Amino acid sequence: MNDATNDVREHAGEHDAWLAALDGELRRRGIEPGLARHVVAEAAAHLRDSRQPPLAAFGRPDVYAAAVADSVGEPVSGARRPPPGPVRLEARGIVKRYRRRPVLAGVDLTVRAGQIAAIVGANGCGKSTLLRICAGMVSPDRGRVHVHGTLGYCPQDGGTSEFLVPDEHFVLVGAGRGMGRAAAVGAGRAHAAALDWNPAGAGQARLLSGGTRQKLNLVMAGLGDPDVLLLDEPYQGFDRGAYVDFWHQLWRWRDAGKAIVVVTHLLDRLDRVDTVLDLTPVPEPEIRA
Amino acid sequence: MTKVLTVADMTLREILRRRAVLVIIAMMPLAFYLSRRGDHLGQSIRFVCLGLGWALSTAALFTGGAARGLEPRLRLSGYRAHQLYLGRLVALWAAGGLLSAPYFLLILVDQDGVSHGAIALIMVLTVAVAAPFGLALSALLPRELEGTLLLLTVVGLQMIMDPADASSRLLPFWFSREIATYAVDHTDTSYLARGLVHGAVCALVLTALVALLSATRLRRRPHLRFVT
Amino acid sequence: MLAALVRRESYGYELAQSLDAAGLGPIRGGTLYPVLLRLQRTGMVTAQWREGEAGPARKYYRITESGGEVLRRTAADWESFAGGVSAILREVAAR
Repeated sequence: MNDATNDVREHAGEHDAWLAALDGELRRRGIEPGLARHVVAEAAAHLRDSRQPPLAAFGRPDVYAAAVADSVGEPVSGARRPPPGPVRLEARGIVKRYRRRPVLAGVDLTVRAGQIAAIVGANGCGKSTLLRICAGMVSPDRGRVHVHGTLGYCPQDGGTSEFLVPDEHFVLVGAGRGMGRAAAVGAGRAHAAALDWNPAGAGQARLLSGGTRQKLNLVMAGLGDPDVLLLDEPYQGFDRGAYVDFWHQLWRWRDAGKAIVVVTHLLDRLDRVDTVLDLTPVPEPEIRA
Repeated sequence: MTKVLTVADMTLREILRRRAVLVIIAMMPLAFYLSRRGDHLGQSIRFVCLGLGWALSTAALFTGGAARGLEPRLRLSGYRAHQLYLGRLVALWAAGGLLSAPYFLLILVDQDGVSHGAIALIMVLTVAVAAPFGLALSALLPRELEGTLLLLTVVGLQMIMDPADASSRLLPFWFSREIATYAVDHTDTSYLARGLVHGAVCALVLTALVALLSATRLRRRPHLRFVT
Repeated sequence: MLAALVRRESYGYELAQSLDAAGLGPIRGGTLYPVLLRLQRTGMVTAQWREGEAGPARKYYRITESGGEVLRRTAADWESFAGGVSAILREVAAR
């Protein structure tokens, strides 16, 4: 056996591993399986023709998969989406001060069924406060919130019970929504699978990593199909893949007719939401004595 | 009812999984008991009951603290405030029963010549009072350290204050000493009656306080309206 | 890219080679295919899997009518832009 055959075989192994990784990454990004197969086959043909190592020709599989996903757009294209439904959440004239410092000065927000609203803004501009006001956990100084239907809320952190395993969380939240134990666990695990997480046999919440705990939080918020979902930066601790899964979950919820409010400071997905509410305060002119 | 039982079930699981705390809490009354075993019969019984009260109050304090973050979202998921605190109370009462049973058996075997019925009554009242006491403390003092210190103070006062002093009746476990006196020294039933009333009133007042605090914290705020 | 497809339909690697030969430098597969996908999605090109003259199946891209239209418009825009720039540059050179 000479060096050349060795070389070819090594390359073949390298190609296969890279292509398999690409296939996985494409699927995880919700690329439709038929298209994913084509993308992989095309990359394979290119590698064969060019005799380049995959990393040189295409870069890392996850990065290339992300570029492909960006090019084909989200799985459900905007054109095919039904028009937004009735108003689900309506906040009018929300005013909130903390120790006389105004945090929210007359904020309005309307979200309809089948819409995603993003609340953005610098740290401390009242994003979480607005969400908690919408959830009824904090009272505003002025203003009102009308919710048409049921609410699900996912906090930034906390909100889980340290000594309970994920399934028990599902049972607990599910009972509140009137679901039986088996139904709640089934629904919870199905939601978790969409986030590429298998909670069966997972340990107590305190032993989960930050990202996994947030997945648990997110699943709990969606349990029992609430009409309005309030999500406060729920992706803390998510790796890149989980972050992508998270947005796909959001789009699925939207396509199922939910009204979604998501607090975010990451602006890279704002083209994929329907409303953006920027709470960054407009600096007031300084008054000098 | 399903909701109350589900909360109770999950709370009980939480309590049973805090192994280290559980061991300490279970041993506390035993340490109290043995420390006074030598000198006076009544003292050791009184101390074991105080130890039970302290242990269960601490467990309730931790349970209440752990539930703080979860309760608002459970409220949003369709629970009413009373379902949440009743579920926790049921779990804590059950845990208190489990904790007390071996100590009751210990006294039954170890101590003759005392009224065991009255001692059972002390334990029932202690459990009934300690659970809402710990939960109320956790609602009033969000940080567990502060709550633990206050518990320590209350139980410390309970041990050193003269029970004849009127102000000592303000302490939640005062009844324990009264009924213990009846049980050990076979005094007249006025001790029993006083203790019973004190214990029942404490349990009721503290439970009402827990209900009030929980309802306030988890109230539906007027700015938010659900339109159906 | 559209201009390279105007002459005849082609597949990814061949396109990369012809663009390289046209002096645009080597183009990585990682850059090339996402662009083709975007063109395909926006209806500028169509694609079809076919057996090549030699070797395995390849995905051939062909420019569509709207793709040709965009190309003509872009070419016209470029023409007028380049015309403007070269006029200025001629002035600079004449000084």
